[in-house]
Amino acid sequence: MVQIVISSKAGEGPAEWLLVELQGEVVSRQNTGLAGNLMGDLHYTKEGVPVLIVGHHILYGKQVKLEKPFAVLMKHSGLPRDEEETMETNQENPTSYTVSALIKKKLIFKTRPKPIITNVPKKV
Amino acid sequence: MQCLISLWFLTAPKPKKRRQDVVKKLQFGVENCDDITPPSSPEVYDRPARDGGISPELLAEEQKDSGVDGDSGEDEGLSSRLWVDQFSPQHYTDLLSDDFTNRCLLKWLKLWDTVVFGRERKPRSTPADVRSNFTNAQNQNQSQRFKTKSQMTEEILEAELDQYKRPKFKVALLSGPPGLGKTTLAHIIAKHAGYNVVEINASDDRSAELFQKRIDTATQMKSVLGANEKPNCLIIDEIDGAPAAAINILLATLNRKDSREGEESGGNALKKRKKKQSVLLRPIICICNDLYVPALRPLRQQAFLLTFPQTLPSRLAQRLAEITRRHGMKADTGTLMALCEKTDNDIRACINTLQFLHSRGQKHLDQRSVNSISVGLKDQNKGLFSVWQEIFQLPRLKRKRIGGDSFGGFDEAGPKDGTQRLQHILHLVSSNGEHEKLTQGLYDNFLSMKLKDPGMLGVCAGLDWMCFSDLLNECVLHGQNYSLMRYFPFLPAAFHHLYAANSVPRINYPHSNYEAFTKTQHTKNALLAMLNDIPPAVQSRISISCLCLDILSLLLDLISPKLRPVNPQLYSTREKQQLYDLIDTMINYNLTYRQDRTPEGQYTYVLEPNVEDVVHFPGLPPRRQLTYQVKQLIARETELERMRRVERAQQKRNSQKDQEGKKTEVKKQTNRNHQQRLENIVKQTVVESRLISLLSAGEDGKGGGVVHIGKAVGNSDVWFRFNEGVSNAVRRNVYIRELL
Repeated sequence: MVQIVISSKAGEGPAEWLLVELQGEVVSRQNTGLAGNLMGDLHYTKEGVPVLIVGHHILYGKQVKLEKPFAVLMKHSGLPRDEEETMETNQENPTSYTVSALIKKKLIFKTRPKPIITNVPKKV
Repeated sequence: MQCLISLWFLTAPKPKKRRQDVVKKLQFGVENCDDITPPSSPEVYDRPARDGGISPELLAEEQKDSGVDGDSGEDEGLSSRLWVDQFSPQHYTDLLSDDFTNRCLLKWLKLWDTVVFGRERKPRSTPADVRSNFTNAQNQNQSQRFKTKSQMTEEILEAELDQYKRPKFKVALLSGPPGLGKTTLAHIIAKHAGYNVVEINASDDRSAELFQKRIDTATQMKSVLGANEKPNCLIIDEIDGAPAAAINILLATLNRKDSREGEESGGNALKKRKKKQSVLLRPIICICNDLYVPALRPLRQQAFLLTFPQTLPSRLAQRLAEITRRHGMKADTGTLMALCEKTDNDIRACINTLQFLHSRGQKHLDQRSVNSISVGLKDQNKGLFSVWQEIFQLPRLKRKRIGGDSFGGFDEAGPKDGTQRLQHILHLVSSNGEHEKLTQGLYDNFLSMKLKDPGMLGVCAGLDWMCFSDLLNECVLHGQNYSLMRYFPFLPAAFHHLYAANSVPRINYPHSNYEAFTKTQHTKNALLAMLNDIPPAVQSRISISCLCLDILSLLLDLISPKLRPVNPQLYSTREKQQLYDLIDTMINYNLTYRQDRTPEGQYTYVLEPNVEDVVHFPGLPPRRQLTYQVKQLIARETELERMRRVERAQQKRNSQKDQEGKKTEVKKQTNRNHQQRLENIVKQTVVESRLISLLSAGEDGKGGGVVHIGKAVGNSDVWFRFNEGVSNAVRRNVYIRELL
């Protein structure tokens, strides 16, 4: 049986992350790739409703507790890079996973985003 | 006694004899004689043979009066009755009013015979031929296309009865000035035809419920006890003073349908039967003074109208002679004629005057005393039309008296005549209080009067008087100085002196004031609508009077240049410039063309606001209009240009706001966009419109790119594409290799 060891850092527990779930896809408009770009702004209203502004859309969502929380694992591979791929048990440094964070809550944006319109003239 | 017999006839039971004497006074052919006999047999008829038409008791009294001479105290003790009542006609032939009218009313009343008494109407075939010959002759002689009033009235009377055997007109309406004998006539005729008279006059309460009750009692009931077992005839006196509700009830009574007819309407039959509406089965006679009172309008259409002509002065004088003879007063015919004329042939007034004079002890009447007497005259409100007639018509010359007064005299005819006329007009106008309407009528009609005025001085004088009247009015209203109102009647008096002619004037009801007023309102509204939306740069230089007088007519020419009705893309530069200038002018003066639909169904373009009417003189030809296509083109281009200007103005305003915003900028521009937006969200619950100003401030600061109206602006690189649908059932397979 394969055993995957997952360990967490000693001391305090792992960090807690928040999952943002969108119903749709995030695309790059000018094909420069998504990496490193500012996606948008996330804020909360006074009532605690999360508000996400992406591009010219504004989305309202709500915060939901996950029934099955997620754990974010980091893999520390024990295999040396240049050797052949042979399965070896009982190695000195086995592959191990550490938990970087736990995700217990998510923000879900289910509703249709509203467009942000600028510059409506008063009288045409 | 000779004259007595000629006027008052013996009541012999043979109708034909009576008829022959009356024939010569009639104006049209005699038809079937039996028609006018009272339906009841002579035995039931109350009055036994009388002597000269006066009942024996009265006769006895008269004899006593005439016996005692010069003893006024005793006279008054014995005969304290009004002479008007003493000598009121008791019989049909005593009536003083016009014979045609009397006969018509009686004929109409006779039409009710089938319903009330059950008598059948005799068929009328042969008399019709006689009459048609007569009328044909009349027609040939006069060659008239229109029927005379008498012919029309006859036709009404000959009309067939309706399904209930009632005449077509169920109510008769008698009208005329007061004192002619209308009420007397109605009473006499109803009695003569065998009815019991029930009267409702102005002294009774004529509110709706009581009126209804009285009508119902009169027409549906009949007295069981007592001597009067005749059917009722309802006489409604002074109906022009009745409240409108009462008249409506009368009309409803006339139009009642029998409940049998309710069967046709199915379900309503029950309701109708419950109401117990029964048809009117008795005649109703109404009496009024003024036929054209607005409350009587609906009644006029459904009533048999009889207008009373004036009493003939000769007949009236004859009757007065009889009365004076009976009371021992001495008066000659001339005096009596003068009295008649003074009271305007009002029978009641004449007799009352005689009685008054008699009671004052004056047994001898002469013309002077009659002329100078100021009692016995009735206060009368004459209608507007009659006042206008009197103003524009010279009074007929007074006949010279046969035994003329030495004091009265012909030599005073000249100036006294003028003074008299002046006083007469003043009195007349003051008695009719509607000064405004009167003046408008004078203004509208004075130019159509026959006037010999080569130098137009008369017209100028008239117009000066009009100005005076206006100023007077202004003074009165401005300072509430109502004492000046006594000068108002002098305007009509002046008009009388300037424009009265002998011929009968044709008076039109004044409309010009109202028309002018509405037209002024209309044009003022159009001009104000135009002025309100003119841009301020132009508005500061024009006012409404300047616009109207100086600019507008030329402006309308300026905005109709010759343009080819082709697509504006095909214009040459010069034409394009021309079009641009035209549009500029139109926007500056707030003009445009609007599509309108004519009543025929065609579409036209109309100037909006329609100031063409303001500068259009009625006599001149209309100005040249542009074609439909050109107007359409101009309208469209004007709209577009207006929108563009507004847009530019908005942009200028926004860019000014952003100039200040730029200085305080520290962070990256994109962040600032979102952060500014979100700060707003955090402060208040989000409303889309509030983001607008900030967003635009942020966006525009980026480099003033073209701001498109109506499109959202998002300058960030990352966009979100929403997937439509519900996400609860989305399942995705997750593989381990994605996680590793």
